[in-house]
Amino acid sequence: MRKRLGIAVLILLVALSAALAACGSGNKETANAVTGDAGGASPSASASSGTGSEAGGTDETKAEPFTVSLRHIQIGEAQKFRKAILDDVVRKTEEEIPGLKFELDGVEDQVNRFTKLPAEMAAGNPPKIFDLFGGAGDALKYAKAGRLLDVTPIIEELGIADKFLNLSQFTLDGRVYGLPIGGSTEGFFYNIPMFEKYGIKVPTTLEELEAAAETLKQNGITPFAMGSKGAWVPLMMVNTLIGRYAGPEAIDGFPAGTHAWNSPEVTAAFAKYEEWVKKGYFTKGELGLEYADMLNQFVTGKAGMMFDGSWRASVFKDPSQAGELTGQVGFFPMPPVPGGKGDQTFVNGNYSNGYGFSADLNERELTAVKAFIKNMYNEEMQLRGLLEDGVLPSMKLSGDALGKVEDPLVKQIMETMRQAGGAFSHFDSTVHSEVYKESEAQIQKLIAGRATAAEVTEALQKIQETANANP
Amino acid sequence: MKHPMRNPWIYTLFTVPTLLLYGMFFLWPMLSSAYYAFTDWNGLENYRYVGWSNFAAAFGDPDFRRAIVNNLIFIGFSIFVQIPLIVLFALLIASVRRLRGFYKTTVFVPSIVSTSVIGILWGFIYEPEVGPLNRLLALFGAGPVYWLAEPKWALPAVLIANAWQWMGFYIVLVLAAILAIPRELHEAAVVDGANGWQRALNITVPLIMPLISVVVMLSIAGGMRVVDIVLVMTKGGPVGATEVMASYMVNEAMGINPNYGFGTAIALIIFAFALLLTSLYQLTFGRRTEGGYF
Amino acid sequence: MLLKRVVPHAVLLAYVAAVLFPFVFVLFSSLKGSNVEIAADPFGIPKTWHPENYLEAWVKAKIGVYFFNSVYLSFTSALTAALLSAATAFAIIRMRYPRIGRWIYQTVLIGMFIPGNVLFIAQYLLVMNLGVLNTHWALFLPYTAGALPLGVLLLAAFMKSLPGELEEAAIMDGLSSAGLFAKIVLPLTLPALVTVFIVNFLGAWNEYLLANFFISKDALRTLPTGMVGFRDAFRTNYALICTGIVYSVAPVLLLYAFLQKQIIEGMTVGSVKG
Repeated sequence: MRKRLGIAVLILLVALSAALAACGSGNKETANAVTGDAGGASPSASASSGTGSEAGGTDETKAEPFTVSLRHIQIGEAQKFRKAILDDVVRKTEEEIPGLKFELDGVEDQVNRFTKLPAEMAAGNPPKIFDLFGGAGDALKYAKAGRLLDVTPIIEELGIADKFLNLSQFTLDGRVYGLPIGGSTEGFFYNIPMFEKYGIKVPTTLEELEAAAETLKQNGITPFAMGSKGAWVPLMMVNTLIGRYAGPEAIDGFPAGTHAWNSPEVTAAFAKYEEWVKKGYFTKGELGLEYADMLNQFVTGKAGMMFDGSWRASVFKDPSQAGELTGQVGFFPMPPVPGGKGDQTFVNGNYSNGYGFSADLNERELTAVKAFIKNMYNEEMQLRGLLEDGVLPSMKLSGDALGKVEDPLVKQIMETMRQAGGAFSHFDSTVHSEVYKESEAQIQKLIAGRATAAEVTEALQKIQETANANP
Repeated sequence: MKHPMRNPWIYTLFTVPTLLLYGMFFLWPMLSSAYYAFTDWNGLENYRYVGWSNFAAAFGDPDFRRAIVNNLIFIGFSIFVQIPLIVLFALLIASVRRLRGFYKTTVFVPSIVSTSVIGILWGFIYEPEVGPLNRLLALFGAGPVYWLAEPKWALPAVLIANAWQWMGFYIVLVLAAILAIPRELHEAAVVDGANGWQRALNITVPLIMPLISVVVMLSIAGGMRVVDIVLVMTKGGPVGATEVMASYMVNEAMGINPNYGFGTAIALIIFAFALLLTSLYQLTFGRRTEGGYF
Repeated sequence: MLLKRVVPHAVLLAYVAAVLFPFVFVLFSSLKGSNVEIAADPFGIPKTWHPENYLEAWVKAKIGVYFFNSVYLSFTSALTAALLSAATAFAIIRMRYPRIGRWIYQTVLIGMFIPGNVLFIAQYLLVMNLGVLNTHWALFLPYTAGALPLGVLLLAAFMKSLPGELEEAAIMDGLSSAGLFAKIVLPLTLPALVTVFIVNFLGAWNEYLLANFFISKDALRTLPTGMVGFRDAFRTNYALICTGIVYSVAPVLLLYAFLQKQIIEGMTVGSVKG
């Protein structure tokens, strides 16, 4: 009797879940990851989901339907503006190509970059279109292995080949294998009302920065928000410190062998970071906090400054994410450091995140990819990215277009870039994966007090030398 | 006419699918692991035979050595902290007459829930600002402890979450053995004037030793198998404080720079360790408790 | 005298409270309105009830999808494993090929000694080479295969204890071995079958490692992976995370409420025999 009851329960569960899944599966086709299609993104999202939608154009033509897999990282609240733009591009492209349906697959940024995509590249079955990072550890590695589509003919055909600001992260032997979607710079976001309250003015020298940190600390506020469970987060500041202490050329110099990690200058950069850790300038318990927690620290006023990438700017104009801090956030670059090498007005500039395409495409998929590129990489979309999302353009925009920006924070960021003498990239796009991996392990050791700056740079140099010996 | 029980077609039909699946997903992976472990395959380029260098690299890496130590700590904790508690609780449950079913049912519950969900749950409990544990400590005036962020607290924190999940399972197991002891033995002891504790120590515990032995073996196997809870709670951090061999393997093989050759070498090391520890136990203590319970 | 009676209960009740408090805490938190409320009064009943958290989580976390995938995968792999194990156990124990039978039994027994994650990478590579990575086959096959050693073991033990006269009678009535299996043996082994099924169902339902790495397409994800992803995306909204936990745990608890005897029996006997 009990057995039958148990079996009945099981069958009931299966039936119930099937019914519930059918009800809840209105979003299923979009195959997005965890975010709801928030706010303004929903109309375009459901249209592009291809739930037998009119946008698919399948009723007009007799074209056989086909799907193209599209991997993106625009999941979560903070990415909703980007997602909206992506959805519009997807919709437009589906309208243009009869029978085309994009199958969107949203994955978290780091998971895609470091777990999913490498595994898929190894297996030889990446999605057709996917979010891709440039540089030696990502795009160039896959390009060497022949996994990426050479888009040089496409961008030449579309006439956009010379419109990009910087394709170096995606270029191998003169051929382009991916297209950056935007640019970014990494610097300090700061809490404007808080600075006013404590009489802190925007630091223009390192002393002023440290004084500001000290003031905040005295008042019970964490100077720098930090979440270092994901080691890439603290490495942003480390990278810029390297650019200051060792000079912009160091970033490219590591793989080239012209600069060493264990040189006094680079070690000084790590030492400065170590000093700040020891002074308690970073969020307590940071090793257990993720990237999203760092934002939370800043937005809730627990920390006064946050070193992050300019892509975060769009969060601060959205009340649902920034709360009381909406529109109250400013930006300044890392100030020059005393005794620093090279041009101290350089800022960090990355054009290393964008889309790549599988080398394994049939004709129809290739047409879809071309249309996607055309719709994604044009002045309109770049401007939208800038205006709606605060993402710096990766393509040249007319002065008119740039003038349209109203958000003061984005304007500040753009002004920072304009005033800079030049830009240096992040070493995660210049060094070999092994070196980068080691840097992640080492920075966490440094933060935990398990390694000194000297030990860290020695370890890194060792790996770098091995990597340089076997390219 | 052939006996229906000697029907080769049916026999094949009934055994081949099983053997096929089993062969493909157990035997073949074991063999291919043994092969790949000696190469440096990372999935993208052609690989080379590298002999024992993967193994040398593993043992040469202080992070891996730390992971080995952590596995041993898990096992040690299970055996020396959990098992005594388990026996105690099982004895207590066996000693009461009422609510026995209630106790048995409730303590067993955590062991049927997914380890990953338990990881999320305890991650939340350990939350420095919102989690109940720190709120409880705050009541006593103790400052917030960064359970999963500080190397010295992270491992104990994970150990406790793991113990919470599995102790109930073992308690029920031991309870069944205790309850199987014939009542006459206890009754005779009572007649001789033995009290509860004396009976427990001199009759019950010795008689369930074979089962305790099994529990020890299961603890060793379990300690080597730990991975889900670490991956979900701390990913092996902070700075490798909670890294175990299996999580190290997963991070190496599926992380930034996938190295399947290295990863399978680690897998083999885990297997070897499990065999080694189990055999060691069998040879030293196992023999004493041979009593053919099962 | 009374003290002696009370003390064991006191200790045990304290332990049970420690075991259950996380669940209770999660349940309460899932109905609270904000993190502030959770922090202020962690063990208290919510001042205002927010059941809409559940709807929000269902939609945002796409729990329907993950739930369905988990049910379907666990059900099919457990069922297949149970049937295959039964068939093989029957063949080994009752059919007249004793030497081959013993050999098969020994081979399958080896599987019991291999710790779970040792085969992970090799299985990953295998699944990759078979081209089924990122499909439900990638999980169905390892889950079913993994359930076979224990299944064969348990069912063989059970079948050994069945009386032989039933078979003789059935054969004299003209049944073939397959018919004998289907009509007589299978119904008789139902209790053990149910146990094997449940144990494997739970194992597949709770499995995280393979589910996380073998499947990346969101529409195919199972509950454990989905929940971790949900936790990562909504790190700072604890009420929502707790709702997710409740969703994951409730079905298992429900199953446990009805079938606890079989579950306990299956899990404990299984591991001891192994």
